[in-house]
Amino acid sequence: MERKDELINLFSKNIREILNRVALNFDEVQEIRLRVAAPLMLVYKNEEYYLTGSGDISKKLEEAYIISKNELKETMEYMSNYSLYAFEEELKQGFLTVQGGHRIGIAGKTILDESGIKTMKYISFINIRLSHQVKGCASPILPFVYKNHREVCHTLIVSPPRCGKTTLLRDLIRQISDGSRDFEGMNVGVVDERSEIGACYQGAPQNDLGIRTDILDCCPKAKGMMMLIRTMSPRVIAVDEVGSREDLDAIEYVMNCGCKLIATVHGSSIEDLRQKPVLRTLLEERIFERYIVLNNLGKIGNIDQIFDSRGTQLYKANIFGAEVRPDRQESRAYG
Amino acid sequence: MGNTWLRLTGAALVILSCSGLGFYMAAQWNEHLKTVEHLRKMIFLLKGEIVYANSPLTEAFERTGRKAGGQMGNLFLKVSEQLMGQRGESFYGIWQDEIDGLPKEVCLSSEDKQNLKGLGEHLGYLDIGMQERTILLYLEQLDLTIDYLRDHKQEKSRLYTSLGIMGGLFLTIVMY
Repeated sequence: MERKDELINLFSKNIREILNRVALNFDEVQEIRLRVAAPLMLVYKNEEYYLTGSGDISKKLEEAYIISKNELKETMEYMSNYSLYAFEEELKQGFLTVQGGHRIGIAGKTILDESGIKTMKYISFINIRLSHQVKGCASPILPFVYKNHREVCHTLIVSPPRCGKTTLLRDLIRQISDGSRDFEGMNVGVVDERSEIGACYQGAPQNDLGIRTDILDCCPKAKGMMMLIRTMSPRVIAVDEVGSREDLDAIEYVMNCGCKLIATVHGSSIEDLRQKPVLRTLLEERIFERYIVLNNLGKIGNIDQIFDSRGTQLYKANIFGAEVRPDRQESRAYG
Repeated sequence: MGNTWLRLTGAALVILSCSGLGFYMAAQWNEHLKTVEHLRKMIFLLKGEIVYANSPLTEAFERTGRKAGGQMGNLFLKVSEQLMGQRGESFYGIWQDEIDGLPKEVCLSSEDKQNLKGLGEHLGYLDIGMQERTILLYLEQLDLTIDYLRDHKQEKSRLYTSLGIMGGLFLTIVMY
């Protein structure tokens, strides 16, 4: 099935017809947003557009197709394969992963019980984030991530939202797992708490994470890292969005076991990390050997700076584009 | 003389065909019971897939259909196929259409089919608890049907076979 067809089948009949008429390259579509009694919108090449009833894109609100409550309900039915009950855990976290690795973010009315969010009803807002795998986007950072072409450094990717940290992590995992002429392939264990890295659908990863990668899907990071070490003997463990106290304990456990860790975290700079109590501990204890900071200038996964464990800058991009600085500049970001 | 032989042959054929009809009816009763018992097993498998394995309906129907086999297994496989096709129809609509399309050889009464359609009305709706309750309710209905078919099995088998033979004899006497 073509990517477009696969995606269109997730929507209600009316929306399917509209999307079928859309003459855009769906590989460039980033998001499709549905809100009850609001216009149907999509993000294409970083620009937001309204979709009209005839399938054209427009910037005029009055031309937009307005989504009804029933269309949203029908769409949810198809997205969940007529089985919303099977996505109870995902609903609690506010997302589903569908075939093709697309992530469906949902919002509505939450139902609470003693243990927290029980489920969600009156789902009135849906955001479909189309999965994009950018193969090769991690190539520029590989020389910084590897030590002696054989060992991987403990690496933390620091990035503001929507700058491509998961995309970068995904490609880094794939390249470490597959290996190349310069770097040997390694067993990589991925704890994919929100199904974002591998985008597993019915257990099968929809994204290419390499030939030596084992994925623990929808598993809490702290528990998953320990499980993987005990069961799959990985040489590298990769996780997305660390930040809790529990994660810190698990990170220490991983490092004490001789595994290398690659993780991502939300933040705009190293200074930003220092403001967060748990992450500050990571910096002060010099747990990570490489800090890769991304920015939102230009393409997805744009590398801004790379530091080592002592805060020495190893790389800085200039405003005209990426510029690798193999001669280590002695400027310190922290420490 | 020839006429008598002809009459005797005719009488034997009438008795044989009427008896055959009686035996066929008795066998149908047994077949109906077997089909419902098979269906009950399938629903148990389906319950396991949904409640314990937390599988979505497409997967649950496919696995159950493959394990169970037979005409009823085919029904489940077809439903799974239709659901995977995502043609924009509701689950209940697909379920009803597939039940209506069951081959005539499948020994289910119209009441059984109605109950089976009822199962699809609430499947997929709300949470796991709701799925379990819907399936358990249907299993209760199946148990009642099975009890009825078992209780009356001997009685009905005897009734149909003897009615067939007696009917054949009666017709022969009337025609002779």
